[in-house]
Amino acid sequence: MQHLDPDRLVLLALSEEQFDLDESDHLAQCAGCRYELDALRDVAEIGAEVQGMRDLPAPPERVWRAIEAEVTVASTRPLRSVSDSALRVPQGVERRKRAAWLKPVLAAAAAAVLAVAGTVTVTRLLDRPAAEQVTARATLSPLPAVNAAAGGSVRVLSDGVMRIDVRNLPLTTGFHEVWLIDPDDVTKMVALGTLPDAADVVLPVPPGTDLNRYRLVDVSDEPHDGDATHSGRSLLRGTLTY
Amino acid sequence: MGSDDELAERLRDGDEKALRTAYDRHGSAVLYLAQRMLGNRADAEDVTQVTFVAAWAGRDTFDPQRGTMLGWLLGIARRKAVDRLRSAARDERVTETVRAQLAPPDDKETPERVVDRLVVADELGRLPDEQRRTLELAFFDDLTHPQIAAVTGLPLGTVKSHIRRGMAVLRRRWEVDGAASGSRSAGPSRAL
Repeated sequence: MQHLDPDRLVLLALSEEQFDLDESDHLAQCAGCRYELDALRDVAEIGAEVQGMRDLPAPPERVWRAIEAEVTVASTRPLRSVSDSALRVPQGVERRKRAAWLKPVLAAAAAAVLAVAGTVTVTRLLDRPAAEQVTARATLSPLPAVNAAAGGSVRVLSDGVMRIDVRNLPLTTGFHEVWLIDPDDVTKMVALGTLPDAADVVLPVPPGTDLNRYRLVDVSDEPHDGDATHSGRSLLRGTLTY
Repeated sequence: MGSDDELAERLRDGDEKALRTAYDRHGSAVLYLAQRMLGNRADAEDVTQVTFVAAWAGRDTFDPQRGTMLGWLLGIARRKAVDRLRSAARDERVTETVRAQLAPPDDKETPERVVDRLVVADELGRLPDEQRRTLELAFFDDLTHPQIAAVTGLPLGTVKSHIRRGMAVLRRRWEVDGAASGSRSAGPSRAL
């Protein structure tokens, strides 16, 4: 008898049909067909076990922060104005609650690292329309808990406005707000305004704002709770460079 | 979605964002494996962290020709989890617990089997929707080809070829990336 047909092997491996006598005889003699059948059976068996494994829960954000801290400290990349001490996280994921004030600092440091990494590319890639005088720009990167496809770019123009272009922001039941934060003291910030549902938005920067100090651009998710302060839920961040 | 090749290249160039991409794609699988091996969440998170830091440090050793990013990361994670079990074993107080963990009563729960499942699940997720759905009905719901044709409205011949080709794809991936491949392709990246 000739070798078993591939379709037939599949049916046998899935136990959908039974061997007939000729097939049993052939399998007893043919190592090749036995091997094929066994491999397909293994695949079917593993396949049956993977149910429920498609959307495994992601590790908590603290795991990424610890990875990033170690990777960043190890690298020699110079960090612009991010104090080293803010990045030095002890080895091992911290299970103790971090002092509340340190959290935004670490997040800001992390964001600054991402922004530094991202800025070079964007500066190179961004088309600069001739009429537009750009005085500063930033690439917005998603914070660890946010969909990695989210992001954006920011250009500060010489006439004192900021063009902000975002994509793939998570849906919100509230609204998205843009802030300029002082990364050296993240309790200090300037609210620039809300983001309407449009790709490219222009927001005025309050005259006299020191963009060297308030250089961390932050997009947050704000609930409709009547509280004008930052909700603490940052989605995107990036540092302005010149 | 960028390929593993592209991601490997960005990693080698020292692009930290590529590490983040790898983490977004595969962090959950690494955590799952670690948790299965170690049996506790805090250690599993530590091993996940150590795995990605080691992957970053050893990024030059990832070779897309020899397996996928997921297979590579799971290989590192397995070794890190074993290290963790061994160092725990040195602590006499927990020796008994560890012994129980190293010899799971159910041989379906070996680390190898968990790795096999993770790579097959990943590959299943990469198949086109219709083909994936067909295989899921066969694997999970134990439906026959004619039943699948009836449920999906696809011609029987299409169901047949989806399942045959789909299983061939899963098998290839399993042979390249599954736990058994570790012994076959021992090389520099295994030293991490």
